[in-house]
Amino acid sequence: MRLKPALFKTTDLTYVLNKHTILDSVSMTILQGEYCALIGPNGGGKTTLIKMLLSLLKPTSGTIELFGVDIDRFTNFHLIGFVPQQAATLDRAFPATVKEVVQMGRAAISKGLFAFDDTDLRAVDDAMQRMMVFDLQDRLIGELSGGQRQRVLIARALAAEPKALILDEPNTGVDQPSQAAFYDLLRELNVQMGLTILFVTHDVSVIADDITKLFTINRYLTSCSDPKAKISCSDISTLYGTSTHLLNNHHRH
Amino acid sequence: MFEYQFMINAFLAGSIIAILAAISGSFVVLKRYSLLAESLAHSALVGVAIALLTDSSPLVVALIVTVLSAWVIEYLRSFYHIYSDAILAIFLSGSLALAIIIVSLSGSFNSSLFSYLFGSILSIDMTQVWILSGAGVISLALFALFYRELYFIAFDEEVAKSSGIKVVWLNFLLVTITAVIIALSIRIVGTLLIGALMVIPVVSALRFKQSFFKTVLLALLFALGSTLAGLSISYYLSLPSGAAIVACTLIVFIISLVVNRR
Repeated sequence: MRLKPALFKTTDLTYVLNKHTILDSVSMTILQGEYCALIGPNGGGKTTLIKMLLSLLKPTSGTIELFGVDIDRFTNFHLIGFVPQQAATLDRAFPATVKEVVQMGRAAISKGLFAFDDTDLRAVDDAMQRMMVFDLQDRLIGELSGGQRQRVLIARALAAEPKALILDEPNTGVDQPSQAAFYDLLRELNVQMGLTILFVTHDVSVIADDITKLFTINRYLTSCSDPKAKISCSDISTLYGTSTHLLNNHHRH
Repeated sequence: MFEYQFMINAFLAGSIIAILAAISGSFVVLKRYSLLAESLAHSALVGVAIALLTDSSPLVVALIVTVLSAWVIEYLRSFYHIYSDAILAIFLSGSLALAIIIVSLSGSFNSSLFSYLFGSILSIDMTQVWILSGAGVISLALFALFYRELYFIAFDEEVAKSSGIKVVWLNFLLVTITAVIIALSIRIVGTLLIGALMVIPVVSALRFKQSFFKTVLLALLFALGSTLAGLSISYYLSLPSGAAIVACTLIVFIISLVVNRR
């Protein structure tokens, strides 16, 4: 087996907030090209963990390496695209067209002094086309459906030409058919563009069969690289008292 | 009215202020930070009061006090996690209390203070127009350099930060530019009214539900139109210029509500 570099590597990550241990000795490794899911109950530390990977939160102890570099010395944050939980972030009255939102993805890396240059605009067009929102580019984001908005936010992340994508509860506020199409799309990004993907969810029923690694988190982290053994992974997680939600959803797989 | 130099000065100064207020106001309003302008304007009043007490230049002292207040407000917001509206409320009333105490001590409750509160077209000399032009060019250049990052931050501060944008630094930059604009505006718009010139044209423009680019353009148009109309009204009716300008922005706001009712 070819050795692939680790894009995300945490060692003994612990986060304590007001004397509550939110995360305890979390060690996780995500290799280039992997398609990973992170599941766990609400309040189990999912968001805390990804915020640390994005350098939005500092761990109480432990280390994080991104693309083989210690997070404190890492500067290429545009290589990690972040798609936030859209229900929490989207203000429908905000004056922004689809194109303006996708262009934000270039704000941190644009070489243009006063405006986006040709390279930026090309990357923005490519991202909109890939996410099938090119024809919507002049529409206001407040006018779009949940599924369309979700694709716009992914296009924004793709516009920065990232190597990895982290999606926080991407299925919130999106109807079922859109969700199925959405997971096909994620798989496509993973296979065709070679994007490393980590998506976070509290709903085990949405996890596709073709993920390469499954993490469960509830203060402690377990990981399991054999997709076939996915269900037994969930069983393991119940040892930690993860959630009855996992058990209840078992039979769907 | 253009046969008088002071009116030419007032129109020049007013135009620069309107353009800057609309642009900076666009970011401030979208960040849900509208009260910032109001609070900083009251800090500017503290500067004016200190200047009247110590017989120094109101413009310079107001500039220093306003920028310092902006930094303290932003520092408390970023690092102390106090609700930003609560910080602004504290600064607004606190500054007013302080300003009134200083003014009372100096015994300078007079017409000169009145003009700082509500603006006066007679107060703009050529030196101030030059200072405003200089500050205006620098502010515009900074906005031209950083509007893309500032827009992303206004839309989603956390994702902007995760993409590598220096959010803390840019937030300080925005409040600093805003503070400078406010301090420089107090002679013509007045400390009690400059907040309105920053906020009302933007809120009116937002009613038209356009792209960000067009929204800023509309806000600029509204601010400029209201300022020029307000200055003319101030000249013909002998009203304080700030009050006339803000009354004009209110008319624009009401029209924008009626035109876009749904």
